Amino acid sequence: MLMEVKNQIYAIYLSIKYAFQRELLNKFTFLSNIIFMIINNACFIIQWVILYSIKDEVGGYSFKQVLLLWGVASFTFGISRFFFKEAFNLTDTINNGKLDNYLVQPKSVLISSITSSIEVSAIGDMLYGIVMIIVFGFTLKNVLLFLLCGICGALIIVSISIIFSSLSFWFGKTEIISETVNSLMINFSVYPEGIFTGIIRVMFYTILPLGITTYLPVRIISDFKFIYLLYLIIGTIIFVLLAFFVFYRGLRKYSSTNLMNARV
Amino acid sequence: MKKYLYIFKSEIMSNLQYAFDIFVGFIGYAVHIFIFLNLWEYIYSDPNELINGYSMSQMIWYVIVTEILWSALNGRKFNRRISEDVRTGNISYNINKPYNYVEYMLSSHLGITSFRFLLVTILGMVLGYIFLGSFPEISLLGIICVLISCLLATLISIFLIIGLGLFAFYIEDATPFYWLYSKMILLLGTIFPVEFFPTIIQPIIKYSPIFAVSIAPAKLFVDFSITTFLETLVIQLLYLLVCATIVHLFYKKGVKKLNVNGG
Repeated sequence: MLMEVKNQIYAIYLSIKYAFQRELLNKFTFLSNIIFMIINNACFIIQWVILYSIKDEVGGYSFKQVLLLWGVASFTFGISRFFFKEAFNLTDTINNGKLDNYLVQPKSVLISSITSSIEVSAIGDMLYGIVMIIVFGFTLKNVLLFLLCGICGALIIVSISIIFSSLSFWFGKTEIISETVNSLMINFSVYPEGIFTGIIRVMFYTILPLGITTYLPVRIISDFKFIYLLYLIIGTIIFVLLAFFVFYRGLRKYSSTNLMNARV
Repeated sequence: MKKYLYIFKSEIMSNLQYAFDIFVGFIGYAVHIFIFLNLWEYIYSDPNELINGYSMSQMIWYVIVTEILWSALNGRKFNRRISEDVRTGNISYNINKPYNYVEYMLSSHLGITSFRFLLVTILGMVLGYIFLGSFPEISLLGIICVLISCLLATLISIFLIIGLGLFAFYIEDATPFYWLYSKMILLLGTIFPVEFFPTIIQPIIKYSPIFAVSIAPAKLFVDFSITTFLETLVIQLLYLLVCATIVHLFYKKGVKKLNVNGG
């Protein structure tokens, strides 16, 4: 069991290493993707400067907390897109019979398929997140909590994408559902929780768990309570297990296609 | 001209087949409007309060119109289409055809955008009415003027996006330029009217392309006057002329650098 896990981690490491080397072939594009993504994220500071010039707090958040919110959202999103990029294309992988490649390998089908390529611009997201935590308050405790929250949040985002993409096993073309859920997760996560009310707030801790991926980490870092951290870890375990369960239940229904694909 | 009109019409006909898919794709638009509604409701403690001369209702209608223009355009996909054409060498199939590539892209994307504009406008107006309970006070003449301004804004946007996509002649991946452009439009032209920015940068925004492609039509819709329309018309026509000329020249220069290796 331990050997299997070790082998799987080594396979992921190699997959990411080779994908990284492939992307490095064109250094200008590689660097411009990262730099422009950082600038892209930083542009939003203008929006918040204007809003905070009108009101002292927005949705119960101070300006610094909004920067932290952006940091957490970017870092979490960055990790998920860099290490697990293909989790966001899983519907296409399932519908076009591309899982065949992974079924014949002696490794986890799910993990191998979602870690087969990387998103370079996501490095920009991760770096932006790190800059934001430095701006918020650079202490060892904050940095460690930030890293832990980022990893947990990314695992939840990836799990949600896997769960909704796995619907393709049963219903075929469901990319519109997974794409919509993924974009909702991004759109809502960069606005303070307090501006939303009612049923939407309930959704943030259930079907669209950005309450756990973004809002809870902001609370953990700015007002640490062990119980919040426990909620985050339990939430992560539940969503990851659910993702594995749904994917492998769906895999029983998987049938290949007659589409010829070449993996280069 | 006739061939471009034909391309325009055939894009509309082809998009009619996917009307439902396009409509479902506007969920993102509805979510943006919902987020801004919540945000402005929070910022405006009293709905009748004026912030920088705008009431809450005017602010939300402003965002609805700017987001209509942005969502109908689907610029990200269009920019990727042009970059990919250049990057993969697909553009070589268009060069030897009896039309100009830039004008082909303009008429094709105008066809797509027109149909999307119609659908997203219906959705935007319905959402605005549900959330706010009334439409802004605007006459029929005003609506016609706003539509003219929207058309000019779309034409300028299409030229600008073609221009950004053509950067692929010089660098392999031109998409980061588009990200930056889209963020500028979003921040300086979609979320806030120009009056929300510091006085020192207001003239810069007013005379930038952002005003012509986003701010002008939305401002006309929430606070219409014929004088503002005429001023807007002059600015938009000037930008259209300048953008069309630059993009045509840029294409002529860039296409000479094209190097396609079989395949």
